[in-house]
Amino acid sequence: MSNLFAFLFRFSGLLIFGLLEAVALYLYITSNSYHRAAFFNSANAYAGQVLERRMQVLDYFSLAEQNRRLLAENALLRQQIFRPDTAGREADSVALPPLPGDTLHRVRYRRTAARPRPDTLLLARRPVPSHDPVYPLVPARVISQTQRAVDNYLTLNVGTADGVVPGLGVIAAGGVVGRIKSVSAHYATATSLLHSKTTVSAKLRRDGTVGSLHWPGDDPLHALLDYIPRQNRLARGDTVVTSGYNAIFPDGLFIGVVDDFRKEADKNFWTVRVRLGVDFNRLSHVYVVHMPTKAERDTVEAHAGLKPTAEDVAP
Amino acid sequence: MNSVGQIILQLLRYAVYTAVYVGFVSRLELFGAGWCFLYLGFLLFLPLAMPVVVQLLLAFGIGLTMDIFFDTGGLHAAAAVLLAFVRPWVLRLLTPRDGYDLQDSVNVHQMGAQWFAVYLGLLVIVHHTAFFVLELGSFRHFGLTLVKILASFAFTSVALLIVQLLFFSQRSGRG
Repeated sequence: MSNLFAFLFRFSGLLIFGLLEAVALYLYITSNSYHRAAFFNSANAYAGQVLERRMQVLDYFSLAEQNRRLLAENALLRQQIFRPDTAGREADSVALPPLPGDTLHRVRYRRTAARPRPDTLLLARRPVPSHDPVYPLVPARVISQTQRAVDNYLTLNVGTADGVVPGLGVIAAGGVVGRIKSVSAHYATATSLLHSKTTVSAKLRRDGTVGSLHWPGDDPLHALLDYIPRQNRLARGDTVVTSGYNAIFPDGLFIGVVDDFRKEADKNFWTVRVRLGVDFNRLSHVYVVHMPTKAERDTVEAHAGLKPTAEDVAP
Repeated sequence: MNSVGQIILQLLRYAVYTAVYVGFVSRLELFGAGWCFLYLGFLLFLPLAMPVVVQLLLAFGIGLTMDIFFDTGGLHAAAAVLLAFVRPWVLRLLTPRDGYDLQDSVNVHQMGAQWFAVYLGLLVIVHHTAFFVLELGSFRHFGLTLVKILASFAFTSVALLIVQLLFFSQRSGRG
């Protein structure tokens, strides 16, 4: 017995080291899963207060820039509210100049070529309802964030008191930002789009091809769009929007534009690089978006056997 | 120094390093790839004779504090505990010819520039390598990770050297 104690005492450093290292790695690995309750994160009240106080000080250094951006966003929103009712319409024919030999100078008309999907563009332009009293768009402030790590997170100053629950989407004026991971009464932690485990169901607005967007982990300005078949024709500058397939974001929210695409010899899909619409460097004001039908939709899909359980929804 | 004074001093150091790092230093970036892990100074400048177990616990504590603030789970804690475990080995490696004196501490004036450079360089490199490889979870993007390690190494080392020159006197270590 005394030998055992002597042994334990002699190697206590090594034992404690192994124990603490195991605990730290366990916390680190489990922190990446969405549905494990994570206590040790910045959504807890003390860390949130410190980070918010820090943000209050740092705010003063970027007030002018933030005001300019909010003004720009307000102008954009006003334009959407006061949209002329002819905005969605399009002429069914265009006028052509008279023929050179025509002495009567008769104006000719030509029908515009029918577009392949006349109504998808309008659908994709669906405005997000911001006045819905039951499921509002919750405005939030980013009080802390990283963008250069492999797994990046945001801390927001809204919580369960504002109706935020885990799993909701986060958007900004520039496009999709991320997804709420855990919530306390007044703070929430969100996984950013710049996170190795985040995938967003996306589509090309031009032809409706659905793919999946993920971030490879190196460059905070770009992400990769997967599963676009090789027979599809792509163009630099194509708009990438959310597909609305995973009930986190509404259909047609802007994500980014196609920056670069190439064929790889051994793959059936294009490798598409997307330039993200959100500038994570200057992210300050975001909105948490509710999807009113998400619970109902998850239940239906779970009953149909498409999902193992309602809790186990893939991000 | 008696043990109560020692505990109070270490708590104070913990609070100061945490406040400075969370409030200010963590936002600094070098070339978009280098960060200043200033809070490592708390662990690196602990007394030489402190028991290993206490060092490990302190490393775990300050690492977990950083994890709570920056949402990294246990990443900072894992790297910091590794640093605390390697520190006695490095100290043994660097033992002067006639052993450490009783009043010796990690102090660039007392131990000399060469001793300090090797001590700081070895430990910071070990910590940063562990940190960035763990963060990635694999060896993809090897070049980028290497750049991150080297840039952070330069940043952290220079910052900790400045801390030494500013706050450590010729006589005895503090800060």
